[in-house]
Amino acid sequence: MQSANMLLKKIVRSSVLPVAAQHGMKRDLFPLSRTLSLSLCLKQDDSCKPSEKLDLDAWKKVMKSGMKEEVSETIPEPQELSGLAAARETLEMWRLAGKSVPENVSEEQLKTFMECPSKSAKKKYLKYLYLKELYKKNDKRKMEEKRERRLEAQEQASKTDDTKKSPFLCLWTSTMDKAYNWRAAQSMIFGQPLVFDMSYEKEMSVREVANTVKQLVQSEGCNRRAVDPFHIHFCNFKDDSLYHREFLKHYKEAWGKLLITVTEQCYTEVFPKDKLIYLTADSPKVMKTFDHDKIYIVGSMVDRSIKTGVSLARAKRLGLETAALPLDKYLLWNTGAKNLTLDQMMHILLTLKDTADWKKALEFVPKRKYCGFVTKPVNELKKTLDLVNTLKLGMRREEVQKQFAKNYPKK
Amino acid sequence: VQPPEKPLESEEWNRLRESFRLPEIFEEVMLNSMIRCNSPIDVAKSLLTHMAQRNGDVAYSVLVKYLTLCVQQGQISEIRDVYDIMKVRFKILEIGAYNLFIKGLSNSDQWRMGLTLLEEAKKIMIPSRTSYESCIKAASCHQDMKLAFELYHEMLAKDVVPTLDVLKSFFDFSRGMKGAELQKELFGILLYLRDNQIYPHKTFMQSIKLWFESIPGRNWRGHLTNIKDSGQCPVCNHQLEDSNLTEEEYNNLSERIIRDVIHGTDTFRKTSPQEFEAFQTFVENRLPFDIVIDGLNVSHIKPKKMHCENLLDAINCLVKDNVRLLVLGRKHMLINSSNWKREIMKEMKTKADFFFAENISEDDTFLLYATLRSGKHCKFVTRDFLRDHKACLSDSLTRHLFRKWQRGHQIVLKAMFFSVFSQQPAFQYDCVVQTTGDTWHIPYKDVFEEKYSYQVPRKWLCIQQK
Repeated sequence: MQSANMLLKKIVRSSVLPVAAQHGMKRDLFPLSRTLSLSLCLKQDDSCKPSEKLDLDAWKKVMKSGMKEEVSETIPEPQELSGLAAARETLEMWRLAGKSVPENVSEEQLKTFMECPSKSAKKKYLKYLYLKELYKKNDKRKMEEKRERRLEAQEQASKTDDTKKSPFLCLWTSTMDKAYNWRAAQSMIFGQPLVFDMSYEKEMSVREVANTVKQLVQSEGCNRRAVDPFHIHFCNFKDDSLYHREFLKHYKEAWGKLLITVTEQCYTEVFPKDKLIYLTADSPKVMKTFDHDKIYIVGSMVDRSIKTGVSLARAKRLGLETAALPLDKYLLWNTGAKNLTLDQMMHILLTLKDTADWKKALEFVPKRKYCGFVTKPVNELKKTLDLVNTLKLGMRREEVQKQFAKNYPKK
Repeated sequence: VQPPEKPLESEEWNRLRESFRLPEIFEEVMLNSMIRCNSPIDVAKSLLTHMAQRNGDVAYSVLVKYLTLCVQQGQISEIRDVYDIMKVRFKILEIGAYNLFIKGLSNSDQWRMGLTLLEEAKKIMIPSRTSYESCIKAASCHQDMKLAFELYHEMLAKDVVPTLDVLKSFFDFSRGMKGAELQKELFGILLYLRDNQIYPHKTFMQSIKLWFESIPGRNWRGHLTNIKDSGQCPVCNHQLEDSNLTEEEYNNLSERIIRDVIHGTDTFRKTSPQEFEAFQTFVENRLPFDIVIDGLNVSHIKPKKMHCENLLDAINCLVKDNVRLLVLGRKHMLINSSNWKREIMKEMKTKADFFFAENISEDDTFLLYATLRSGKHCKFVTRDFLRDHKACLSDSLTRHLFRKWQRGHQIVLKAMFFSVFSQQPAFQYDCVVQTTGDTWHIPYKDVFEEKYSYQVPRKWLCIQQK
């Protein structure tokens, strides 16, 4: 570095370029030599200087110039926007401000949006629509990717083109459907009834009803695929209720062909009262075993705003027996409410019906809700049984106590 | 990201942008961190210039962020410029931007423009309470108290809850001002505090005190004090309002409790009609009681003792001559078990009346009913805050009544180490802003005092006219 500096100085001093040096070349060259030779801090000093050159308000000019033409168009009539149009504008502005707002909003959604009572309700509704749109988009994208992959695979397959001959028939889904429907039809004659109580419409918001129906559709699906399906009853079902409309949205024409019983009657009118058991998480009684002769009732209700005791009240009013799943007995509960979704209930009940194995059945409780299974409740029971036996057989007290302490170590 | 200290040129921004992990959101992240670090606006301007040169446009969200920075630093001319740009650029603005404009302009000599913006914002949505706050403060700061109060009433009419700061500013700015109208308005604020059971904090209380003392020709004097348990003010010897409800309030409250809390949407949720009827006849036949006890709640006071012993201790502690006790429990208490001994139950039954509800019924609702039915003198014993029952009441006015009634009638038992129980008696006087015309008594809380919603402040400001 120093040598370069020296070299430059030499060049200047030596009369190789004497004229140039006199005409300001010297001035120009020396700063150069300084930056070359020295300090970073000088360099930084230089970089902050350009702010004089920087026009900080340049963006304003750009913004103003860009809209000159538009202005002349829009300004003449700054008309008052009314109703829907104004709401749409507001949404657009929120979207520009970077809030979670969907791109496309239908007229109907816009109306629901305007009917929201508060600002937070509006925001919540928009976020819901936004997420819905996002999921839909993602799904669509994935579908397309899948299709492309399938087409590729087909192409490759057609190239190789060897028709495999399998000894088995290819079972298409329609065949499977026929088999399932056959079973479901059998269950309608011989199967154990399972009642869904459809009388909770008043307790729920529109969204909750939609969720309920979604869960019911899922439970119906898994029941149909079961080895030994229930005979599903929808009791207290009113025609043209919100439930009904939601069901039609899901099933369309298939709604009339479902192999379930839908009735306006109450379950107490359809079945003998002493056989009914209302399943509710609020029940003080805990279910011990699954009884094949009883008729279980599940309340078709999604409860987002904690309304305790609604279904228990219903059972109390009709004087029905109630029961809750023995969740605490078998699971070390972690978080979450003890009420499960309808399809989870369906899975649990089907498994219980087939296997009578609580552990297997309670696998369907969402994993986040519990830490693990209580270790071997049967073994514990056996130990206490042993204890009782020893007491009966007349063992000495100390010995029994010792054994007891061994079996139940203090925590 | 650390925002640069000096404005940068486009190439330098480009370089920074490319070195950033996600170049698409670089500008937003950078502006956010500028807001956080309160960077000089020149830096932000240079970024905006860079964006304008890059895209030929600056997005709305970026403008809002720049505006936030300007408001934070009180750059009035910049705020005006941004407003001009936005106004021509977009048909309408969104409420967040309006709030920022209003907040920014209210602190300047252009506060009138803030008011016009408030009008504009109202067309889209209800402006936030902070927008109202800044407008009101600006108006009262410029001696336009009439306008300030207009805005205040408009705010209340729209169910926007005013901040304590706004209320305080009214007292601060009207200090030493004359006018019967103004006085009436400020008394109105004090009554608003009373109606909503709001307690001012210490600095607010000071403002109130100073305002009172500054009213010319009235000679108000304020003193800080503690009220005696009897409800007498040590300064002016005035007896505070007692905690009893008026006849009308009382009837209203008991009606609402039966309707909303006990029956609710479905009587079967908390009890059953048969049971409730049985309880009603039981109570009517034995009226009136002096103290109603939540048996199960009291029986858990000392965890090491048997449940029935706890209950017996409590009854012994409360029973005095001619005091009629009612103990509410559940049927399972009647079954002889390790916690509920039959002999002790028998002994208790000689000292008090008992009612046993079904095991799945809620006994608290019976507690409320029995107490209210027995009359104003009747108290009840439980450690429960009864929040869930208060929540069942549908409007805030009744909830306030409930809270007041609860303060005046709930006895809380606490287990102590040596003595059996310590009783925390019900309040004899009502802890709320109150006046007799020539005196004012205002409860207040210390600024840093942690106060739970069920607690009431013990410190008072006594103001009297000499």
